[in-house]
This record gives sequence, structure tokens and C-alpha cells, in this order.
Amino acid sequence: MIYLDSAATSFQKPETVGRAMVEALQTMSSPGRGGYPAAMQAADTLFSCRTELAELFHISEPDRVVFTMNATHGLNIAIKSLVPRSGRVVISGYEHNAVTRPLAALGAEIIVAGAPLFRPDLTTEAFEKAITPDVDAVVCSHVSNVFGLVQPVEAVAALCRERGVPFVIDASQSAGVMPLDMATLGAAFAAMPGHKGLYGPQGTGVLLCGDKAETPPLLEGGTGSVSIQQEMPDFLPDRLESGTHNVPGIAGLLAGVRFVRGKGESAICLHERKLALRASEGLRKLPGVCVCARRDLFDQTGVLSFVVDGVDSEFVGNALAEAGFAVRSGLHCAPLAHRTAGTMESGTVRLSFSAFNTEKEVDLLLEALPEILKRLSD
Amino acid sequence: MEQYWMIARSVTYAQRMERMLMAAGIRTRIFRAPRDLSNLGCAYAVEVTGGALRPALSILRSAGLYPAKLYLLQQGKYVEISL
Repeated sequence: MIYLDSAATSFQKPETVGRAMVEALQTMSSPGRGGYPAAMQAADTLFSCRTELAELFHISEPDRVVFTMNATHGLNIAIKSLVPRSGRVVISGYEHNAVTRPLAALGAEIIVAGAPLFRPDLTTEAFEKAITPDVDAVVCSHVSNVFGLVQPVEAVAALCRERGVPFVIDASQSAGVMPLDMATLGAAFAAMPGHKGLYGPQGTGVLLCGDKAETPPLLEGGTGSVSIQQEMPDFLPDRLESGTHNVPGIAGLLAGVRFVRGKGESAICLHERKLALRASEGLRKLPGVCVCARRDLFDQTGVLSFVVDGVDSEFVGNALAEAGFAVRSGLHCAPLAHRTAGTMESGTVRLSFSAFNTEKEVDLLLEALPEILKRLSD
Repeated sequence: MEQYWMIARSVTYAQRMERMLMAAGIRTRIFRAPRDLSNLGCAYAVEVTGGALRPALSILRSAGLYPAKLYLLQQGKYVEISL
């Protein structure tokens, strides 16, 4: 199988990730629940992971790095911390259901700062108009999961700081690929998965809490601290981390984060963009294929969507799966993004690359596609 | 040698204290605090010895880290020292 679905989860992981997970299973128990070596080793692993993530994302204290199950979990905490019932929220036109569904559940008034694809100037303008002081929060994805579109989060963050509105960043597609400086952005929260660009295992996620973040817990339970008190601890990370941690997962995440820091986010991003550019150029030569990107892939990461004229994107995805290529097709849990981009009817076929993909794999896809598309069009 | 136990509200906080002190060359040890030293239940202690206490507290304060309580272990008994 040639795996081109890293925007869903990075399937190929560094060898160190699996090894760290096995070692954790064999040597670590539950952090914060004992002073014996197995418990302290688990606590050391979590602390090292928090520290490395704090350094990577410029978070002032490791305590403000909270482990979650995934980005959705973190986004739920962030959104439910900031948005009251029937609150008012500004979001970009490219948000995932992980943002829009919690907002819908709160009955929030959602103001979409929509703009066409690859027009960061218009996106910023739309946010500028929409962010008023009565807005409870602004939520914006750093990179669209469908189109790889890089959104102008620095400009949006500046508007939020200026107008005193809390800012939440969905870094699901950017963590490990693009720099994210929480200290400079002054965001209230940034949520991210551990299992995509950070190369940890599935079931891991991270919520970065800014210096002013107020955080009512989403779950209550044991934390291994202030146990007599029946209210949750008023300090991080314990306030948001009740129950036993996913220690093997976090050990794997730590190995993944070290892999990313060793290679460098920019080098990984450059590699993925190079592959996306190669794919884009090849796809443009195929009749009936429309690539949802600028020719130079400006303002884009290694995520690339395309549409085949008159063919349902799911059929293309299925045919590619039969031919040994793992891609994602349909709406990618982001109907708002498709509505904004005008691809709601067809959905798109999405290719997403990781540090482990090669030019050869892109070429094999481009060699296989003409035959597949011809068959589907007949 | 006198032993001092600084009580931390959580394992993460204790680890922050420990790493900060280790980076300054002060030897420490983390362990679960005895039940009667943590009136809210379940806490960790960071141990420093003898003359290291004063510089340790100064280093921690400058990093914005504050032990919840401080005890001196004396002849098998703990004596609380006001911070």
C-alpha cells in the first residue's frame, strides 16, 4: 500500500515511536499515583513530553501542556471553556466538524469569516469585519484539512489581541509542519492531535493553554492530587487530566516529537510541499482533473485536493484503494470548508504527504491514475 | 545532615521544582508526601539537604515556583517551617 492520507493520521511512524511504546508498557505504571520507580518513570516521561512540547510551541510552563485523546477533545475543552450557551463565535470558512459541532451543540451564533481559497488578504478582511468586542471567541484552523490552505493566524491573532477576544487555534494540520509560537500569538488555546504531524500514536492529542486561559474541566475524576477536595484541582495540567493517562501513547508521542525536532518542521514541510507540487503538476496534465490549489502551491502545505469532472470523489477513492493507494475522499468531516470552496457537491479526493513519502510513490500514483479515471468515466 | 521536604501540589509541579534545582546543581529527590503533611491529600515532596535549602528556595521563587509547605525532618519528626 502507498499511504497518502497523513492528514487523517500519519500511518508510517519513526521506529523510535513503537519502541518507546513497548518500553512504556513493560516498565511504566501510572504517573502521579505512586512514588515507586514504575510510577515515577511514567511521570518523567509525561514531564519530558510536556517540556519538549512547551519548547516547540513556546509555551511558558510545561504545566500548560495538557494531554488529550485527540484534537477534537482539546477543541471541546477550549470551546466549552470560552463559549457560553447561545454565545457568539467567529470562525473561518474552513473549519472542521470538531469546531462546528461543539458550537452547534452550544447553540452558538456562528459568524463565518469566509473567503475564497488561497486569498489570505480576504480572510483577514473578513475576520476584521466580524470580530467585535461582544464576540465570545474566535476559532480558526491554522491549515485546512481539506485543501492544505495556510490561514493567516498571525493576523487573526493580532485582531483578537487588539479587540480583547480569546483566540483558539486548531493546529491539527500544522503541528509538526509549521511553526506555532503561542507566546507571540497570545492565543487562549491551541489544540492538536499527537498522531498526525507529531508522529505519535492514535489516541494522543495536546491542548496548549495560553497564559490567560480559564479552564473548566470537561471531565471530573481522580488526578493524584488534592484528593480530599471534591472540586477538581484549580491548577493545570491536573484540572484537565482526570483518570489514568495514556502512558504508552504519550511515550510514543514523545519519540515522535523528538523525531520532528530532530528533522525540523521546515525541512518536513518543504519535503511534503515538494511532493504535493509534483503531484499537482502531474494531476493538471490529466483530462477532467481540477486541482484545488494555486500552481505554485503558495500558502499551502503538503495536503492537496482534486476533483474529477463528472465522477464522484468516493468512486475515485475506492478505485485508488483497489489499486493500492490510500487516499481520503468525500467531505473530510469539513462540510463548511467544501461549502466555502464550492466543492460541496462533488467532495474532493485528498492526497496528504508525510516525511516518509517519496517522489517514486507520487510517480506511481500519477502512472496509475489515467487508467483508473478512464475506467470511471466510461 | 538536615533534611527539608518541600511539599508540591502535584507530581508535575514537583518535577518542575526538581528540574529547576537539578539544573542549578542542587541534588533533590521526589517521593510521595506522607499523608499528614498534605492536608488536601495526595501530594509529592521534594527533598533537599542542609545548606541547599536557602539557595533552593531562592531559585524556585525566581522561577515563580512555590512549595505549598516546608518541613524539617528532625529526629524522625517533621517540623513545619513557615515560608
